[in-house]
Amino acid sequence: MFSSFKKLLFRKFKRSETKLHELNYLFWECTTRCNLNCLHCGSDCSKDSLYHDMPLDDFLSALDTVKTPSKNFMVVLTGGEPLLRKDIELCGRAIKKRGMKWSMVSNGHLYDKEKHISLLNAGLGALTISLDGLEESHNWLRNSKDSFSRVSNAINLAVSSSRLYFDVVTCINKRNFQELSSIRNYLIQKGVKAWRLFTIIPIGRAIRNPELFLDNCQLIELMEFINKSRKSSAIDVKFSCEGYVGNYELKVRDNYFFCRAGINIGSILIDGSISACPNIDRDFAQGNIYKDNFYDIWQTKYELFRNRRWTNIGKCAECADYKDCQGNGFHYWQGDKKNVLVCHNEQLKKQH
Amino acid sequence: MKRNLIGKVIGGLSLTSAMFVFQACYGTPQDFGLDLLVEGQVKSKISGLPIKGIKVSVADNLQYEYTNDEGRFSFYTEKRDNLSILFEDIDSIQNGIYLNRDTVLKNSKEKVFLDIKMEEK
Ligand code: SF4
Ligand code: SF4
Repeated sequence: MFSSFKKLLFRKFKRSETKLHELNYLFWECTTRCNLNCLHCGSDCSKDSLYHDMPLDDFLSALDTVKTPSKNFMVVLTGGEPLLRKDIELCGRAIKKRGMKWSMVSNGHLYDKEKHISLLNAGLGALTISLDGLEESHNWLRNSKDSFSRVSNAINLAVSSSRLYFDVVTCINKRNFQELSSIRNYLIQKGVKAWRLFTIIPIGRAIRNPELFLDNCQLIELMEFINKSRKSSAIDVKFSCEGYVGNYELKVRDNYFFCRAGINIGSILIDGSISACPNIDRDFAQGNIYKDNFYDIWQTKYELFRNRRWTNIGKCAECADYKDCQGNGFHYWQGDKKNVLVCHNEQLKKQH
Repeated sequence: MKRNLIGKVIGGLSLTSAMFVFQACYGTPQDFGLDLLVEGQVKSKISGLPIKGIKVSVADNLQYEYTNDEGRFSFYTEKRDNLSILFEDIDSIQNGIYLNRDTVLKNSKEKVFLDIKMEEK
């Protein structure tokens, strides 16, 4: 009774957030070059990307259309691997100069002491580093022999800074699944305060490798693991925003599921496309900075993101949880809009 | 306004006060920290000329930067009371020899410009 009232209120809250659609989280896909060749990569990035890095000035021209940024407006540099850009500190400083915050997602490979210091000097405020298991399973997924030791060093540096809002993310798959407790202990021992877990999206080069995807029982065990870990204060463990998890809602993260793509989250992608999270099908782009005014697009387009009624199709059409889920994370839809790629709720229910 | 109201009501129902905090799967945590931009120029006390290669560092912190050809430096650091900034000549006789010095920043707002004169040894 009390919980249905909370759910009802949360739906209202989502509606009000959607109506307001305040942009406060802007991804910039500043490069699609990458120094690793991960098995699960959704973007199919490579060392020799098809695209050149986006020139800083092009990005800034688009950013400058945001005349009055919201209070916590932040630019999130992503890739590829952002640290492959030689001018990464310049990019950060230019964003800070505009009174905005910036953060970065990195595979940690090039994150050494000198880089750590130069990034802090340039005003880096938040950082996420990917760690995909203990040494063997991490190196397997990352397709690299020395990735684990480099990431481990990067984590030590990030933890040493009291300024950085820092977390570690882990892609859970069949190989590292048995290591969940050990990874947790490893991170606690390193002094990491926040750990986010997510599953792999069946797109990109990942789709060819069944070892990357959890089965239904494993997904339940993952939820149980997160739920149990959240009872201890040693480290803040949570499931990522990726999907609606039915009975596990509020047990595996702080809030109910709310996909904020196109509501608070926007992006400028490598080719200038204007969209939301970078893992969303590129067919959903709303415009392009090379021909449109970025902020005008943010204000006037994004209809498919802000009105999700079109997701009431395929398996979602018959769903009793539709009002709370609204077709799962946007990134689980493809341009044809025919059916949701993954339903966590269904996977979790199958074993109950 | 309405947004805050609904947020507060749900917050009051113990949904958590972190209603507005979020991060995308492939994104970073939000940044709620405060920075201070420390900028300045280091010159010789006697000649008034800029000094290159002086290490400018934040005490109790890994951060440092070297002055450039114009003796200038500029970096962001975590905003705190009584922030100690150290100036050290670490390149031996290259660019002259100067006595190290430090300065303590009190109640700085968002940025501060430091005009530093260093004494020759
Ligand atoms: S069927 Fe669709 S709406 Fe229902 S829980 Fe699954 S993804 Fe969500
Ligand atoms: S699209 Fe996916 S990653 Fe982006 S906010 Fe929605 S659920 Fe999260």
